[in-house]
Order: sequence, then structure tokens, then C-alpha cells
Amino acid sequence: MKLSKNFTNPLAANNPVIVQILGICSALAVTVKLEPAFVMGLSVTFVTAFSNLLMSLLRNGVPSRIRIIVQLVVIATLVIVVDQFLRAYMYDVSKQLSVYVGLIITNCIVMGRVEAFALGNKPWASFVDGVANGLGYTIILVIVAFFRELLGSGTLFGMTIIPEDWYIANGGFYSNTGLMLFPPMALIIVGCIIWIHRTINKDLQEK
Amino acid sequence: MAINKNSNAYIIIYTVVMVVIVGALLAFLATSLKDKQAQNVLNEQQNSILKAFGEPDADFNEVVTIGSITNGQFVAVEDGAATFELISDRKKLADAKDNLPIFKMEKDGVVKYVLPIVGKGLWGDIWGFVALQQTENNAVITGIVMDHAGETPGLGAEIATEKWQQKFNGKTLYDEAGVFAVRMQKGGAQNEYQVDAITGGTKTCDGVNAMLETSIGKYESFLLGVAVEAESDVECEKCASCPERETCEKQCDECTECEKQCDKQCCSSCEDKNVESIKGEEE
Repeated sequence: MKLSKNFTNPLAANNPVIVQILGICSALAVTVKLEPAFVMGLSVTFVTAFSNLLMSLLRNGVPSRIRIIVQLVVIATLVIVVDQFLRAYMYDVSKQLSVYVGLIITNCIVMGRVEAFALGNKPWASFVDGVANGLGYTIILVIVAFFRELLGSGTLFGMTIIPEDWYIANGGFYSNTGLMLFPPMALIIVGCIIWIHRTINKDLQEK
Repeated sequence: MAINKNSNAYIIIYTVVMVVIVGALLAFLATSLKDKQAQNVLNEQQNSILKAFGEPDADFNEVVTIGSITNGQFVAVEDGAATFELISDRKKLADAKDNLPIFKMEKDGVVKYVLPIVGKGLWGDIWGFVALQQTENNAVITGIVMDHAGETPGLGAEIATEKWQQKFNGKTLYDEAGVFAVRMQKGGAQNEYQVDAITGGTKTCDGVNAMLETSIGKYESFLLGVAVEAESDVECEKCASCPERETCEKQCDECTECEKQCDKQCCSSCEDKNVESIKGEEE
């Protein structure tokens, strides 16, 4: 497969969240606000890229019987190393991430891509695949978080979007949709995205 | 001879080498970065305390006196390292019964105290600092800073935002019956002591309520005890006229005499000396 295709494929046609259905769990957890969704997306991109690169470098020596354990060790080590460095040199970022460190390690996309791609491909291609899948994940997270934050809290990236005097409390007609703040709404929005996506990409529809 | 990568010997050796390398790497990283990380945590704690005081840009070491509450009395602490260590260990802080850490700041004649608070939210620990100003038999919250380990973003995690923290400002701790009354009330504040709770974050707000009540409760005797004394806080004339009160190095005669009259310390530098001597006796 060509490298450019390798990169563009996971962004839309073979998106990890809406086509491969990987990483749904964290998509529910961190999409209440745009900011954590964005931070989480970038962290996962970083981890998928480098765990793919590392596992691809190691792929010829890994005994296939314990490959899953080796993958886990590599991914977990990578995440902890990065977390330790952030805590020492970029404390603010590490505080933002603290909640997600565990979620990144267990994110299905990371292990899914290592298992499906990195173990059978060259390092550079694996790295690109990791970046692309991470970005594909980020796109979906940001879309979901956009709707959840706008409709649920009336803000975007923490900035107020809905004018204050629209609210019923201030004599207006509008109130935030509290349901948007709860995880099930993330699932419903992801469902809507999958619906739109499959309407456009007819070849993905199951007969 | 090609190595059989699926033989047991290869797998065992591979695993052992992997674990040793990874273990050594993580241990090395953790030790070498420890000081830097600890410094970051300390900076953050000091900034939170200054923020609670309402002086986020001040120099911590200059304006804040670190102290502890021993037997209901404020005692200044020389070395703050142990105090911050206690605050970092949230479990130990929650269990602490005596020598409670406290921070004092005096500005324009107004004395404020900051207490560390710690509790449990819905998913994990919540903690913070609350700044109090004593009034007669009561105390008023002048600032609060809260943080959390893993509350839900958009719901419980809102306690870490200034928007919610500001709602606590100016709230009085105890109601007319002397009952601890500050709380986050589900459905909206119903009296002057209450603060709106967060919709969808009820469990976290319950945790905040419990945290405030237990953490501040430990300081109750100090907070209310000194409040009574606060009435006699007006300086006696003799104290005010003491010529050496700003500069004197030891307990001067003038001080001793006027203290007999007004039954309190009048000379600020003498006061510090006395506190030290009291501390020395206890040790």
C-alpha cells in the first residue's frame, strides 16, 4: 500500500472509531468538553505513532506466543515515560493528562494498530499509520465534543457561545441540554456520524 | 543455526531481558526526575495557597507565614518542608488530628488563614485550600481553590473552575445555631450559607460538603476561639506608643509592662521570639 494512502485512509474511509469501531470507550468519557477531547486525541496520536514505531522495530525478535504481553509492556512503558517527563518539565500539561494516562494505555486503537499493522510492516510505514489513526480518532472526538459542549454547556473550548440573555434564567427562551453531558449522548452522536459516513461511503454498507 | 523463536528458552530469556530493561529504565527515570517533580508540586501548592488568599502574584515566602495549630493555638513553623509533605500525602492529612497545617497572611491589618482541605469525590480524591477570615464567633470564606483527581469533565470536575469556586466567597461558616452550614445545595442555594450545587455532579458536591465540614471542623476550636479574642484586638495606648516595638530584639521592659496591662503581646518581634521559646519548650 502506498504511503499517502496509508495516511489518508484512517482519516475517513477506514476511520478507527467509526469504521473499525475501536476506542469507543474513551470517546464516551472525554468528549464532554472540547479541550480534554483535543488533548486526549493528540496524546493518543503520539502514543499510537511511537508504539507502532517501536513494535515495528522489534517485530522480528518478538516471540509470537507472547506478543500481546510484549505489546502491552511497550505501550505502558511508553506512556509512563512520557508521563514522567511531562510531570517534571511540563507540569500543566501533565495535570491535564493525568486522568487520561490510564485511558491511553487501555485504548483499543493503540494495541489494535500494533497488532494489525506494526507487526507486519516496516517502521516508517507503521509510524505513519500510527499518526493517521491517532488523527482519525482525534477528528471524531472533536466532532462529538463540539456538539456535546455547544449543546450541553453553551460553550466551546470553555468560551461562552450562547448569549447569556438567551437563557430562561435571564428572561430568554433557551436552556442547555443536560442530557448532552451524559455518556449515552456521545454514543448517539457517534451513531449519527456513522450513519452519515455510511450514507456517503456506500461500499461500507452491509448488505 | 537459526534461533527458534517459539522455544520456551527463547521466550523466557526474552521476557527476562525485557522486564529488566523496562524496570531499570522506569526506576532510573523515576529517581532522576523526582526532585524536579516534587518542586513542581510544591510550586503548585504555593500558588494555590496564594490564589486562595486572593494574592496570586505575591511571593509566597515573603507574605505567607506557615504555621500549625497545636492545642488550639497558632504556632509558626520555621521549616515549611514538613508541612508541604503532609499536605501532599492526602491520606495522612485526612487522618491528622493535631499539629494541623495552616497558613497565615496579614495584609492591611486584615489577617486571613488558609487551611488545606481534603476529601473524596465520586471517582477519587478531591482537595484544595480554603481562605478564612475570622469574625465574631464565626468565620467567613474569602477564597477557595479546589482540585480533583478524576471527577467527570463538565460535571463534577467543574469544582476546579473559578466560576464555581467564586460562589463560596463571602459565605459564613456557621449558622445562628452554631451548626456548620456552608454546603453545595442540590436544586440551588436556599439560604445565605448555601452554594448552588452542580447539575449532574451531585456526588462530587456531596464530597465537597463532607470535605468542608470535616476538614474545617478540625480547626473549629481555633477558628472560634480566636474569634472571641479578636474583640480585644485593639492595641492599648502604651503598646502603640512603645518606641521600640518595630525594632526591639528582645522582650524589652516597656513591652513587659504594657503586656501586663493589656494582657496580650504588643510588640511584633517580641511575639515571634516568644513563640519560638514556647516551641522550644515543647520539644
